[in-house]
Amino acid sequence: MKQKHWELKDVIMMAILGAVFAAVYLAVFEGGLALSTLLTPFGLAPYGFELIYGVWFMASTLAAYIIRKPGVALITEVLAAAVELLLGNSGGMTVVLTGVIQGLGAELAFAAFRYRKWNLLSMSLSGIFSAILIFCFELYYLSYYLVSPSVLAGQLAVRFLSAIVFSGIICKLAGDGLAKTGVVKSYAIGATVKTARVYDEEE
Amino acid sequence: MRSLNPAFKLIGLLAVTFLLAARHDPLLSLSAFVISLIAMLVSRVRLKAMLLLFLPVFLAAAGMFFTGYRFAAGNSMPVRAEILHIGSSAVWNGLTLSSRVLAYAGLGLLFALTTDRIELIRSFQKQLHVPAIFAYGLLAAWGIFPHMALEYRRTRAAFRARGIHVFPMSPSLLNPLLVKSVRWSEELAIAMESKGFDGRTTRSEFAPVLVRTSDWVFLAVCCLGLPAAVFFL
Repeated sequence: MKQKHWELKDVIMMAILGAVFAAVYLAVFEGGLALSTLLTPFGLAPYGFELIYGVWFMASTLAAYIIRKPGVALITEVLAAAVELLLGNSGGMTVVLTGVIQGLGAELAFAAFRYRKWNLLSMSLSGIFSAILIFCFELYYLSYYLVSPSVLAGQLAVRFLSAIVFSGIICKLAGDGLAKTGVVKSYAIGATVKTARVYDEEE
Repeated sequence: MRSLNPAFKLIGLLAVTFLLAARHDPLLSLSAFVISLIAMLVSRVRLKAMLLLFLPVFLAAAGMFFTGYRFAAGNSMPVRAEILHIGSSAVWNGLTLSSRVLAYAGLGLLFALTTDRIELIRSFQKQLHVPAIFAYGLLAAWGIFPHMALEYRRTRAAFRARGIHVFPMSPSLLNPLLVKSVRWSEELAIAMESKGFDGRTTRSEFAPVLVRTSDWVFLAVCCLGLPAAVFFL
């Protein structure tokens, strides 16, 4: 089962997962905006987004969990970001670049396990790696260093928590749920789960 | 803006975005925002779409302003705030943070609203040499997007018919969508392969995406002209 090259099936799967999550990202962006607008009078606006930041790491983790080939996490996140840009997000051009950075973080975590471990630990770690990389980028890009360090530390802590919840726990549940329905039988994840079998009477 | 080559436009506008990221100048950011607004109006973007998309941007900018205003990191403040006498340095800090939100969003929406999606993917394949398997995979996914929206609404209606209240984007709505997407991706792949699609062979094109002189000029201005102007003036 160690085929490393991508088939058309894999690529379309990644593109479609990317498209689904691009829509989710945009919807969540609006939700986050509402949340942070509520917090704006207290000057806590960034925390609104930190709470749900893990959602943005979900596409890469879920796709990697299903397809289980090197590079899947990175490419899916980039595709999701590209579709998000095409749908007209308000984050600007660099959404594609943030996609590359987040995807790279997720990819690193799976690579650290040599693409052999696909469990809650590696998935949570992929979320955390994404969070670290993207935070370094934002420190420069959004000039977060103009904000006091104690607030930044708080932000990072909340972001880690969110990464574990969304890209670790929820993605694992979603992947396992998909595997149980049997639709992903032809992917690597399908081999790990037993689906209910329906026997024909003819047999 | 519409007639520019999409890949060139993307690279040029990215360069401008990075230029803005390297400079902490609210005036520069605000002027970039205004210029992108004017460029959108010139290329006849619908006013209603613009207003709808910019509403959340203004909210985000306001949020960033108050964050920068309240939690200013005292010692890393730019010295120029005192020179310009715009008010207290906290206001300047807030203005710096919020003006870049506006500028980034302006440039991003300028790109999104003036670019044809299919032409963009084609131009990626042609000018940036993205492998055909990705270009056509993306096109396939893009083509299926309206079906996803329809499927989402249909699942929602099904829940409503059963008298179950579900929140937008809740797992019970997204799970059927995911299952459907996996099915679609397999069917699409089989369909494409059965029609003889192969990522390796070269194909002829129905509408080739061209690079004109104006594209090179745009790229040169964005990547070389503007940075030079900003850093030397």
